[in-house]
Amino acid sequence: MEQRIVITGIGVVTPIGIGCQEFWTNLLKGLSGIAPVQSFDTSDYNVHRGAEVKEFNAEEYLLNLDAAHLGRASQFAIAAARLALVDAGVEIGSLDRQRAGVSMGTTSGEPREVERFDDSYVSKNLDRIGPEFLALYPCHVIAAHVASELNLAGVNIMIPTACAAGNYAIARAFDVMRAGRADLMLAGGSDAFSRITFTGFARLGAVAPESCQPFDRFRKGMIPGEGAGVLVLESLNRARRRGARIYAEVAGYGLSCDAHHMTAAHPQGDGAQRAMKQALADSATRPEDVSYISAHGTGTQTNDRLETIAVKRLFKEAAYSIPISSVKSMLGHTMGAASAIEAAVCALAVSNDRVPPTINLNDPDPECDLDYVPNFAREMRVNVAMNNAYAFGGNNASLILRKRELLN
Amino acid sequence: LIGKRVVITGVGVVSPLGDSPVRVHGSLSQGLSAIKPIQLFSTAGLGCPLGGEILDFDAAKYLGQRNLRPLDRTSRLVASAAQLALEDSGWSAEMRNTQEVGLVLGTMFCSVHTISEFDRRALEAGPTYASPMDFSNTVINAAAGQTAIVHNLRGVNTTISTGVTSGLEAISYAADLIRYGRAHALLAGGADELCFESFYGFERAGLLCRSHDSAGDFPIPFDMRRNGSALGEGAALLMLEDAMLARERGAHVLGEIKGHGSSYDCSRGRNSSDAVEAIGTAIRQALSDAFLLPHELDCLSASANGSQIGDRYEASGVFAGLNGQTRKLPVTAIKSMLGETLGASGPMQAVALLETMRDGVLPGIPQLKEVENAFPLEMAQSESQEADVTNGLINSIGLDGHCCSLILTRCDD
Repeated sequence: MEQRIVITGIGVVTPIGIGCQEFWTNLLKGLSGIAPVQSFDTSDYNVHRGAEVKEFNAEEYLLNLDAAHLGRASQFAIAAARLALVDAGVEIGSLDRQRAGVSMGTTSGEPREVERFDDSYVSKNLDRIGPEFLALYPCHVIAAHVASELNLAGVNIMIPTACAAGNYAIARAFDVMRAGRADLMLAGGSDAFSRITFTGFARLGAVAPESCQPFDRFRKGMIPGEGAGVLVLESLNRARRRGARIYAEVAGYGLSCDAHHMTAAHPQGDGAQRAMKQALADSATRPEDVSYISAHGTGTQTNDRLETIAVKRLFKEAAYSIPISSVKSMLGHTMGAASAIEAAVCALAVSNDRVPPTINLNDPDPECDLDYVPNFAREMRVNVAMNNAYAFGGNNASLILRKRELLN
Repeated sequence: LIGKRVVITGVGVVSPLGDSPVRVHGSLSQGLSAIKPIQLFSTAGLGCPLGGEILDFDAAKYLGQRNLRPLDRTSRLVASAAQLALEDSGWSAEMRNTQEVGLVLGTMFCSVHTISEFDRRALEAGPTYASPMDFSNTVINAAAGQTAIVHNLRGVNTTISTGVTSGLEAISYAADLIRYGRAHALLAGGADELCFESFYGFERAGLLCRSHDSAGDFPIPFDMRRNGSALGEGAALLMLEDAMLARERGAHVLGEIKGHGSSYDCSRGRNSSDAVEAIGTAIRQALSDAFLLPHELDCLSASANGSQIGDRYEASGVFAGLNGQTRKLPVTAIKSMLGETLGASGPMQAVALLETMRDGVLPGIPQLKEVENAFPLEMAQSESQEADVTNGLINSIGLDGHCCSLILTRCDD
């Protein structure tokens, strides 16, 4: 009999709050984290807004490593991991460290380290770059730093599948646990606000000038953001043994590739549909049993239209009665962290029977004609939540979380 | 939960020692080294001018006349290796139209060169001059995504990045997906390119071999005189399939993924006992996953690359992981000739090991004269040796504490 895997802790670092409580309260209120970019000067750009994490103090979360020797994405990841463990009521000392691991996703790793390299290169001061470049830059350091800080010696993996990375990392942790290779996994994603990412999306014409308005007729694009989300995964048996609060069960997942275009989704949402379909099959869920969908919902014209098509093609009539929301309307696009934070949202929705709104949705697009939970959070029974994420490279990932009461 | 058996039905490799398993293995067996002065970029002012570079790499040789402009060097290496692996395993374009084949790619950097160039152009000319096409290649999953487009790989597409262990972790990940019934056929392996940006990082970290015209100029794994590694480049992919389905379609089976293990050294190499313990743990896990005992291993393909500290940890970690049964274990360390190919390294070792299983020759470690005293690896030697290998252990050990071990088994069918 395969093990059932459950979520017992949530840690988030987001543009609308740090820690599960503050985040969830602000999310239900429909608070926006979008503001003028402060990380760097945007005067050479035609867009100037981003979703940055404010008032973050890494020192609060570091007992072993030194903040000066950690990139910002590693700092976020460590903070989210510590918050998740505290939320789960897990004492690190109580863990068999060989059987506790870390699985993280990211888009850019530690982009500020390569940006510093580039600044030095362009100003012909490359000798400023020392051994710290290799120690701080490669993306695997995020998972490595989390494990080093927390003294976890189990599986340690980094999955850089861009904007769907968080879901991939949670899916891998789920498999590692089901195969009996770990007792506890910290799984999620982290990304730091990046000049490279901002430049790229600005050049693609994908960045909105003011706000993120998923599914609105006048939506103008996404808003780059940053943050981290980490979940504590344990087996149901272990969670019950220690009397842990269970947010939700990780019921299954599906992964697919469009194999169509690097930055544009398949015109019929083919890959997205295959990922959702697999996730449903993997978790033995009927389409009509899905209570809520957390959309990828970036706020670009193409994404929101194609995502709607994919949901309609797969769910048929049922699509019209499933509430779908995009928290990116509030958080911006936190890149590799996005689907991890959205998985946290699904877990909270499942355990609290509330779903967050899609804000800034005032004038619905006729092509986007589903129930996007416009502007106000909703109280409703949430038995099963589906978390969808899509990425550059045509990487699609759908995750399914299920209510604790449905566990037998 | 034991799951389905996972077999290898094809191999694709692009490396400085050749673009077929036979050529690569032939060079390794003869002790030919790929480590030469680098031509790809200027190494002026750097302590190490050496690397394992693929000279005159031309992806059109493998991919034909299609438009390769959107693919950077790393993506071209991966797409080329994928072409070779698909051909070798018989997964035709027609078959890929009706059945999903996926790709699990391990890479440390994908292309830090592409990322850096994109950013530098924006810095020098202004953000409005940065190229949107280049931007799509700045994501670390770019090579896997580009390769999926080139070859219509619509199944699982995952990129794994755990430094040196990326490629072996990718094979482990893919093997698990097949074992537990999530996929039937996956290309799995790794790639990294040689480029100035990563080279500079390794150089400044003091990890590259020096060049002072004396012994130790070249990477000599396990030798007393070793003074660092050399960077290499390349891509290596295995076609992994559900054994039963592979047999049904009449595929030629090259070997089996018998088991794997992963662990992490939290001290990131700062504490030697933690480092050794982590390596030992990964090996023990791989053995138990494969239902094998230490004495049933017939050879070790080591991760050792000439690093002062890394090689020492590995020697002790192997001893710990195999309960001291290393005396009769033949050892090779192909990074002595290919260089440290990072994400490609573990899969390169797998490709070479499959050839060893086929022809019974285990490459030596050229220039190896004096194995460091305390090293319990008595069968490491400079010359190739004969080895009848049924079960081979592959180690991959990173700079940041990542350890991965995998066991390959010969299939006599």
